[in-house]
Amino acid sequence: MTSRRRQAISASLIHALLLSTAVLILAPLAWLLISSLKTNEDFFSWIFLPLSDSGAPAWDRLTLRHFARLFGDLGFGRAMLNSVFLASATAVVATLCCAMGGFALARYAFKGKTLITVLVLSVLIVPATLLLAPTYQILYRLHLLDSFAAIILPAAAPAFGIFLFRQASLSAVPVQLMEAARIDGASELRMFFSIALPLLRPMVGTFLLITFLGTWNNFLMPQVVLQQPDKFPLATAIAQLRGVYYQDYGLLMAGTLVSVIPVLALFLMLQREFISGLTAGAVKG
Amino acid sequence: MSAAPTRTRGISRLEAMSSGAIVMIALALISGAVLAFAPQREKKPVQFWTFARMHTLMYAPLIEQWNQERPEGVDMTLFSQAALERRMMSAFMSQTAVADLIEVERANAGRAFAGPLDAVGVVDLTDRLASEGLLDQINLPSFSPWTSRGRIFGLPHDVHPVLLVYRADIVEAAGIDLSTVETWSDFFTAMRPVMADTNNDASPDRFILSLWDSHADAIECLLLQSGGRYFDDAGRPDINSERNALTIATMASWMSGPDAVTYDAMPFTASGNRLKVDGYVVADLMPDWMCNIWKNEMPQLAGKLKVMPLPAWEKGGRRTSVWGGTMLGVTKATPNFDAAWEVAKHLYTSDQLARELYKTGDIITPFRAHWSDPVFAEPDPYFCNQRKGLLYIEQAPNVPLRPSSPYNTLARDSVRDAVSDLAAFARRTKAYTPDALLPEAKRLLALAHTRVANELDRNIFLREGQ
Amino acid sequence: MTLSTRAAPYILLAPFLTLFVLFAAYPIAQSLFLSFQQTYGPGHARWVGVSNYLWLVRDPMFWVSVRNTTLFTLGSVFIQLPLSLALALLLNRENMRGRTIYRVIFFAPSLVGIIFVAMMFSLIFEKRTGLLNRVLHAAFGWDLDFPWLFDYSMPALILAALWMFVGFNMVYFLAALQNVRKELIEASIIDGAGPIARFRHVIVPAIIPVASFVTLLSIVGSFQLFELPWVMLRGEQHDVRSYTLVVYLYNRGFEIGDLGYASAVGWVLATILMLMAVLQRFVSRTAEDLE
Repeated sequence: MTSRRRQAISASLIHALLLSTAVLILAPLAWLLISSLKTNEDFFSWIFLPLSDSGAPAWDRLTLRHFARLFGDLGFGRAMLNSVFLASATAVVATLCCAMGGFALARYAFKGKTLITVLVLSVLIVPATLLLAPTYQILYRLHLLDSFAAIILPAAAPAFGIFLFRQASLSAVPVQLMEAARIDGASELRMFFSIALPLLRPMVGTFLLITFLGTWNNFLMPQVVLQQPDKFPLATAIAQLRGVYYQDYGLLMAGTLVSVIPVLALFLMLQREFISGLTAGAVKG
Repeated sequence: MSAAPTRTRGISRLEAMSSGAIVMIALALISGAVLAFAPQREKKPVQFWTFARMHTLMYAPLIEQWNQERPEGVDMTLFSQAALERRMMSAFMSQTAVADLIEVERANAGRAFAGPLDAVGVVDLTDRLASEGLLDQINLPSFSPWTSRGRIFGLPHDVHPVLLVYRADIVEAAGIDLSTVETWSDFFTAMRPVMADTNNDASPDRFILSLWDSHADAIECLLLQSGGRYFDDAGRPDINSERNALTIATMASWMSGPDAVTYDAMPFTASGNRLKVDGYVVADLMPDWMCNIWKNEMPQLAGKLKVMPLPAWEKGGRRTSVWGGTMLGVTKATPNFDAAWEVAKHLYTSDQLARELYKTGDIITPFRAHWSDPVFAEPDPYFCNQRKGLLYIEQAPNVPLRPSSPYNTLARDSVRDAVSDLAAFARRTKAYTPDALLPEAKRLLALAHTRVANELDRNIFLREGQ
Repeated sequence: MTLSTRAAPYILLAPFLTLFVLFAAYPIAQSLFLSFQQTYGPGHARWVGVSNYLWLVRDPMFWVSVRNTTLFTLGSVFIQLPLSLALALLLNRENMRGRTIYRVIFFAPSLVGIIFVAMMFSLIFEKRTGLLNRVLHAAFGWDLDFPWLFDYSMPALILAALWMFVGFNMVYFLAALQNVRKELIEASIIDGAGPIARFRHVIVPAIIPVASFVTLLSIVGSFQLFELPWVMLRGEQHDVRSYTLVVYLYNRGFEIGDLGYASAVGWVLATILMLMAVLQRFVSRTAEDLE
């Protein structure tokens, strides 16, 4: 009896702890959402929802004005389109490059394999920012500065991507299956696309999402390589917004919100696959 | 590493491609197509970049008129200051796309001069300014920030004299008379009553001046007013001077201790504005352009403010200073210098803009001939109907000179850090008078001096250019 | 083996390798080369030998950056990771109601890009108008003008990073906890071991490999901190409080144009991280040997 009661108490204690943590984590996002819907006067008068005289939330005081301005004369629609394109194109290109490369490293014996593997793995620990300056120089020499390619190409060959796909190919693509296909007369490229790639599907899904998120949220690279405002993705546009409309809190919040919502939505749709893929490398060591 | 999947499992997956992958490919194709076929806005021949929203508002009517009258139209684009600097430098250093005309804030201009002279990305205007007579028409101190190694690289936009703004309502209610104030020490003595603690919360109800130990702009402004400087005429650092030490020791004494008279109400933040609206800080340094920021961000202060010349550091001393500044440069990348130069002159030299500059932006033009325009004598209701324009113009010839060293930002930051350290020292040792702080001020400035001198000596390109 | 089988790996690797050489291998070599040069943008460069590295040792701002970065890293590792582990332990119950929802909620902040988190928290930490001071003021009469972004910039950074990454690390710990063998737990319960002893002798050994991996991940991430201080602490105004190694690197390389000196800073950073990685392998090996 007592032990069961103790268990019940500890269970509700745990729930209380979890619940309060959840509230702490959601509070900034809720604030962001509500503030983006408030006029600047209400922003200063109320922490969260504005209340009417009777003490009930005054829903009618909320406004979509900030969003209208963002997508109207501030051109956030274009920035969002740029972000969508950059993130999805990078994701597709990077996933394809890494899947092909990782599969080759895992399932073929060839000259230079050890060298390449060691080289790629050793780059894993080099901090990305170290490469910023020379990458900039290379883009300059290739005349790619101020183009979308300057964002997509350097992000399309991440060392950890090929590492993930190498691991995934080792465990998911059986050698026997490849041998059987060869006997059936399948070409090597077809083998990759019609046998390996479908077997690597979970990793493909995860990696697409990782790269998409990484590019969507990348601020430094566009900030450094893009010049023309009509090429800016959201991450750069939002930093702009802050520089110019620093005192317009509702607008800043609305801008942040529209930059955050699409990725959160995408994640909610694909979260199971994503989290399991993310931790796979670490747990299997 | 579980058992290998069977062949049938492999084939069943073959048929259904990952939904994530489909979504992603679709997104890439659709957004790519939309971007590719999106109507390209047609670009006008002269591209013009600026960093201040206020400027865009002022220029808009002039540019619109220009675009109707002339074939070489102008496109104006607004960037944040940091973004504009980043892009300007990037373009200058690596020849990427840049505008034909570019407005550069003083804080960023120095960097454009850090490399070899031939790598400065804007056109050297020295001879042109002289031959077209512009050199004589413009307030001379206004050229100093845009001059590097004897060459002038920009058309000055402004003078930016600084006055003191204060809450007339609060000051007058406290029965304080500021008309006899001549020096900063007079000022703080006279203003002392506003710091009373009437609500007994053990801290003053109000503070006298908005100033704090990391406010580089205000520190520089006061330093220049006191006759201090960062660099000598030869461009060598001159930071560890007696004058600078006394100035920062005095500032630190204002900021620290139980009798601190300053508080940090940051400009460009809603929180800082709030403190000003609440009257928590009563006075502030007010360059001409800042009047407009206040009008826009704190309209509720209308009729409650007055400006006056800055209190001097000594009796008979300089009653103004300078804060900020903008130039207009023609980039070397422009394929059409003449068109860009015409636009530049149209924007900057016209009496129409001089009026607009003051009416929309509260900014005093650097063109001396326009100073007699009646617009400057109009009473300004925001400032209790003071003839604010005349007050600023009266001080315009007295603004201190500023060098354009590429290391100006570093010097400024180093001095700011010295002030921060000095204020911390004051708190730590409870030494709150300028005299007690002076030795430490000297020590810190000597460090700052060495820091800047070392950096300067490292720069190979600057050495080569000399 | 047919020709096609022999050529296949090269064809498959070609796109990756081309980009990899161009944007990883070559830049790494180039950055080493650059670090011995003084530059003004990519167009002007002069060979200066080791003087960048010698200068770096004497450069007070470099040491400020090292100090700030180290402080932040210590804060992240010693505050964030224990909290992540605690959350994972709380959530690690089968059939628990709302487990998935909690997991999603805790994980969600790490999806918000750090630049957006920085934007949000620069507003949250503001004096007088920020969420934190206002809520604390309403609840506890906290100072409405508490200067988070000035005098308490490191705690502010650590808090913002905590919000963002606590759930991210929790997910790793959760996965690690799946490795704890049930029999061992049951055996320890039968042996009458208390929860603390059980944690030490059963759970800790099982999660050490993941824990050391997550620690490495946090250290690497912390050392590369850029956007948070850049936006929250006025990095673009060169406020020293914002100087982490990467902010400093960015400032020197892209604002002042000295890509050479920036590369030298980058190589020091890289060396630190490589040492950390070696250390992590060592810790993780030793732990496995002990097991």
